[in-house]
Amino acid sequence: MFEFESIAVLRRFPGLALLILFIVLFSLFSVFARRFLSAANIEDLLAGYSFMAILAIGQAFPIIARGVDLSVGSNVGLGAMILFDLNAIFGVPGYAAIPLAIAACALAGALNGLLVTLLRLQPFVATLATLAAYRGGVYAISGRQLYPEFAMHSIRDPWIHSLEAYVDVGRSLGLGRLMKFPSIPLSFLILIGVATAAQIVLSRTRFGLDLKTVGGNREAAHLAGIAVNRIQVAAYTLSGFSAGLVAVILVARFTTATEAAGTGMELTTIAAAVIGGVSLQGGTGNAFGPMLGAFLLGVILIGLTLMGISQFTQQILTGLILLGAVLYDRTTWDHEQAAHARNG
Amino acid sequence: MTSQQDRPRHGERRDFLKSVALGAAAFGIGAAGPEMLSPSVGRAQAAVGKTLKMAFIQFMPHTVPAAWSKGIEDVLSKQGNIDYQLLDGQAKVEVQISLMDTQINDGANVIFLQPVDSVAIGPSIAKAKRAGIPVITLNIDAVEDHAAHVEMSHYAGAMDIAKSMGEAMGGKGKVVIINAPPGIIIRDQRTNGFVDGLKKYHPEIQIIADQPADWDRKKAQDVFTTILAAHPDVTGAFGVNDSMALGVVDVLKQKGMLGKVVVFGDDGEKDALESIEAGELTGTQYTDVYQQGRFAAATAVVLATGGVDASSFRAKGHLLIPYVIATKSTVGQIQPDQRW
Repeated sequence: MFEFESIAVLRRFPGLALLILFIVLFSLFSVFARRFLSAANIEDLLAGYSFMAILAIGQAFPIIARGVDLSVGSNVGLGAMILFDLNAIFGVPGYAAIPLAIAACALAGALNGLLVTLLRLQPFVATLATLAAYRGGVYAISGRQLYPEFAMHSIRDPWIHSLEAYVDVGRSLGLGRLMKFPSIPLSFLILIGVATAAQIVLSRTRFGLDLKTVGGNREAAHLAGIAVNRIQVAAYTLSGFSAGLVAVILVARFTTATEAAGTGMELTTIAAAVIGGVSLQGGTGNAFGPMLGAFLLGVILIGLTLMGISQFTQQILTGLILLGAVLYDRTTWDHEQAAHARNG
Repeated sequence: MTSQQDRPRHGERRDFLKSVALGAAAFGIGAAGPEMLSPSVGRAQAAVGKTLKMAFIQFMPHTVPAAWSKGIEDVLSKQGNIDYQLLDGQAKVEVQISLMDTQINDGANVIFLQPVDSVAIGPSIAKAKRAGIPVITLNIDAVEDHAAHVEMSHYAGAMDIAKSMGEAMGGKGKVVIINAPPGIIIRDQRTNGFVDGLKKYHPEIQIIADQPADWDRKKAQDVFTTILAAHPDVTGAFGVNDSMALGVVDVLKQKGMLGKVVVFGDDGEKDALESIEAGELTGTQYTDVYQQGRFAAATAVVLATGGVDASSFRAKGHLLIPYVIATKSTVGQIQPDQRW
């Protein structure tokens, strides 16, 4: 019974197990991987995984609604190419092109929601279809492909360029002389904003509660008078919106949009969300879990690379952690079901 | 030859030992080896006796980077003081950028790079340059200036392919190009070389389609099948790498059209050479890629041991590797130990 009790304790503080795992791994790498605990490496970790964390938070919304968004990666590619085309080919300045690209991604997300609700497609099937369709769209509108003179074009728009900035925290706090602080990439600050907003939406708003109800028990939500379809469409729209933000961050970093941008990110974000305690059974999840999940994957990959361990080992380890997270999720869910059965 | 066969096994053993060390660490045994305690090595100014670090960030797992890596390891392992790592970019720019960051932070002395995108990797190369680290690109050049670029003579090679291909087609007919994705300089070099070569040697041959198949054999099969449906009168196909050319051969074989379309690849991998010997693929530009890796490694060793910093370069260095146009009549010259 000890096992169940310890799991019950962990459940009372969602994300506690993950936080402990994160701290343990982080400490281990700090001791055993050379230069892991250096300002430059923390900077790399923040720059390299903040966008993945934003996407994982977006992914959490459809999963909480008991769905999934497999198209996020393609949607990122689409948003990036729209931004590139608008700015490079049509000369639309960044301040107008950035919101347009984000809006297009949100719209693509809403379309996913409509396929799931109006056409009653399985989320897996609907978003698998748009995964292919949106990627096809990227190639179809690729300015680098349509106009060879733009193939080697680097975006120099000041609005877009300024997003790839670093904030020197040490100096602005006046602590720079005490120790070397990592410069914080702007994408991490965007992430903090997104995570805070998402957490408030999930825990403090009517929409957040309704979303969890829809994901936990669709029928009950329907009977309680919740506009189930509208909630689901909103969840996919938010996932699309996060893809738009990431598209803008990537274009700023790449100075171009690649046709393959975002490929495979769907799996990483789902893994990060699940590791972050967003249950695949729907109905539960918060915003900080997926964020921590994304950084956990980053810590493992960067830590093992710094230790010189082969990438195949890294992939196996990532798989094992994901498996562990899913099993942990299942155990707690089964336990909860058993508790419901006992009480009811 | 035996030493060459042994080497990968050494690499595996090292990985295995490191995994064991990690395992021990995870259990709190605290196996801190001397390597982990050694002081950091200054970048690009290592004195004799200090360990140098180099890494190759490849595009994705493929025959070409695998053979380069073997060639690089050949040379580096003989130096005795160089730690070398092969890292996989997984065909994703963001992965390559993250790996570049890790290498810069880890104080690599030289980074070998096969960029996934010539433009998008630019800011990362600039970052390495600011840290003083020379970056050597292999085959796929980058828009951002860097220490050196070592390539298979893309432009001249593709011109010779056009010449040879036109001869096999009797100087007339319609060709298609199965191309690389945009945003990669090698695509332009090989395409331009081919187009200019046809103009110069066989002006009557028409190019009727030019479509990307992302370096991939399977994708090339789909792309060529579609092209063939629209243009059944195609008599020539140029795959910008061998994998894509072999994809075209797959389709022709399946449709019983072998011999009706002249197919050329580029690179010269073992499968392509065997296909030429079997009378399926018409030809390819063959480069000794082991040798290319050794040349790149030799450049890197000289730079690193000579303490040459990335800021000392006035311009990007270029090195073109000699090649052979391999067809049924010339493929026999290529020795078994040069095949990769």
